[in-house]
Order: sequence, then C-alpha cells, then structure tokens
Amino acid sequence: MSRSVDLEGDVAEVLLSEDEIQAKVSELGARIGEDYAGRELTLVSVLKGSLPFMADLMRAIPVPVRIDLMEVSSYGGTATESSGLVRILKDLSSSIDGQDVLIVEDIIDTGLTLNYLLRYLRGKNPRSLRVCTLLDKPARRLVEIPVDYVGFTIPDRFVVGYGLDFGEVYRNLRYVGVLRPEVYAAAAEA
Amino acid sequence: MSAAEPAPTAARPAFAHASEAELARILDFYDVRWEYEPHVFPIRWSLEGDVLESFAPDFYLPELDLYVELTTLRQRLVRKKNRKLRRLRELYPDVRIKLFYARDFRALMLKYGKLAIVDDLSGAVGQVVPDRDPPRTPGVEPEAGRPDGGRRRRSRPAVADPVDGAAPAEAASR
Repeated sequence: MSRSVDLEGDVAEVLLSEDEIQAKVSELGARIGEDYAGRELTLVSVLKGSLPFMADLMRAIPVPVRIDLMEVSSYGGTATESSGLVRILKDLSSSIDGQDVLIVEDIIDTGLTLNYLLRYLRGKNPRSLRVCTLLDKPARRLVEIPVDYVGFTIPDRFVVGYGLDFGEVYRNLRYVGVLRPEVYAAAAEA
Repeated sequence: MSAAEPAPTAARPAFAHASEAELARILDFYDVRWEYEPHVFPIRWSLEGDVLESFAPDFYLPELDLYVELTTLRQRLVRKKNRKLRRLRELYPDVRIKLFYARDFRALMLKYGKLAIVDDLSGAVGQVVPDRDPPRTPGVEPEAGRPDGGRRRRSRPAVADPVDGAAPAEAASR
C-alpha cells in the first residue's frame, strides 16, 4: 500500500458502532444458545475477517462450543494464486462428522465463498450445518444461500473494521465503517 | 490442499466483452458451473407470430437455476436492457435472472482487489471483436440449434485476457 494509512481518518462514516455490534452479538449468542439447547455446537470461523466476531460470539453462546478455523483463498487476492481455483489454505483441525456445525462469517455479499464452503463441509457429514453472519449485503448476492443468523443487513457500501479489511489493514477497528472512496481509488492508481 | 479439481475444459466461447470473461473466471474460481448464452428468449412477436426481438442472457448457472446478465455500460445507457429484462420477467415469470450493472461489476472488482483494471474491462473499452457463432434464429433453443449445442461449460475465454497475473497487492482479502 503506497499511501500511508490513517486508520480512523480513512473511514468516512461509522456504520455500526462498537456498542451496536456488541449488543447484536449478545442477541445472536442468546438465540443460538436457545436453538442449540442441550446440544454441543461446533463453530467454524472463516478466516481472517470473522476472527473478532468469532471471539465475541463464542463467549455470548451459553452452550458448550468447540471451535475450528478455516481459510480459503480469495479470487485475485494473492499474487501466488495461479491455479484459477479456490484453495483451502487452512482446513478443519478435527472431524465434524455427526456434529452440529455453525459457520461464522463476517460478511456475505456475493455468496460465492460461502456456497463453496457449504458444499465442502456438507461432504464431511455434519449432523446439521447452519450459517451465522455478522453482516449481510444482499444487494451483491449472486448465489442465494439461506442464512440462519444475520446480525445486520447493510447497504451496498465498502466497509472495513471489526475484522474486515482493505489491503489487510483496518481489521482492528472496533467498529464497522465505510471506507473513503479516495482510499481505494488511490490504491487502484498505485 | 485444493478441495476442487479442475473441471474439464470444453471449447472456448468467444465472449462478447472482457467483463464477461472476467466473470467467467470468477465463477470458475469458486467452482460454480456456468454456460455462456445457452438460451434465447423471444420477447416480442409480429402479428404473424414471427419473433421480432429476443433476449439471450449472458450466463446460465445450472446448479443455481439462475441467469446472469452483465452490462458494464454507463447507467444512463442501460435503459434498453432494463426494458428487455422487464419484458422477459413478464413473459417468463419462472425464469430467475440477475442483472449485474457497471456499478455491481465495479464493486466486484474492488472486492477482489482488481479495481485498477476495471476501466479496461468496462463499457466500450472492454468490447472485443468476437469470433462468434453465426446469428441465431430467435426463438430456437440453442441446445437444438447451436453448433456448440449450448454446452460451453467451464470453458476459457477466447478474448485476450488483460488481467492474468495482474492482481494488485491491494486485494481486499477479507
């Protein structure tokens, strides 16, 4: 990134404050706890963006949870990606055969990554497989996927913070904000 | 550690636009089956019953039963396409179709860190001189009437690829 990053200054507007996010996480955790009462749940976090959400959500769920992490390559996202096919960069550490699994996502927009993950995880024979996302951007949806738990439905704007990045930066913002267009315009020209 | 095996590559369709080639690459990347312009929908007829106007959406995603039409023209220039789409929805209410406008394509490129090349893939700049099939007879199902039988699945574009290896380091990796 050639221009210097101004972590807070590059954000045009706070879309979701830290308090709003935490209240929603508590609400989602309680709902999930009710739905999975008396059962054990495996949360599968999709790296890297969902990490803060996962960390907060797991502590808001009042039933026993196991956690696992997955990471898949993003289209155009790395210079080393040359095969032209999505790759699993980090697979599950343990079997999910017969388990209740909840995928934890930071944001769903096109649905392409999630569609791929769902097909992949279904092949591992979980007892149930559901999806929880903090943010849903339906305007960008290409693949319609039933999402069981949605934190916020957001407008069609490029957001960063609370795990979401641009060029691997801004993930550590405690809120979700709209990135100034001149930031990514400058990056495109660089 | 790839979970997906490369699908067999069929004949290369001649994409009419570089943005279509890019979308096909994205669909391939995420292992979503696609067919390029496999169906033609008549949308206007003469009093004699001859087809006067038809609409062939750019992509059909058979596993999702979804058509995708991609236009990277400026918003004020897409009126004709919007009208055809409305007509198609009136006549074929069971057909699921999504129109990707220039702003949608731009957002997609931003998401994948390819904003720098979006102008090369959009509007008139992205148009290519296609080596396309002869004009089709409107109203004829391509599976029966097209030389390729409408089976252009997972094929690679015949158009020049301006983006291979051009992924900038600024990809929004998420």
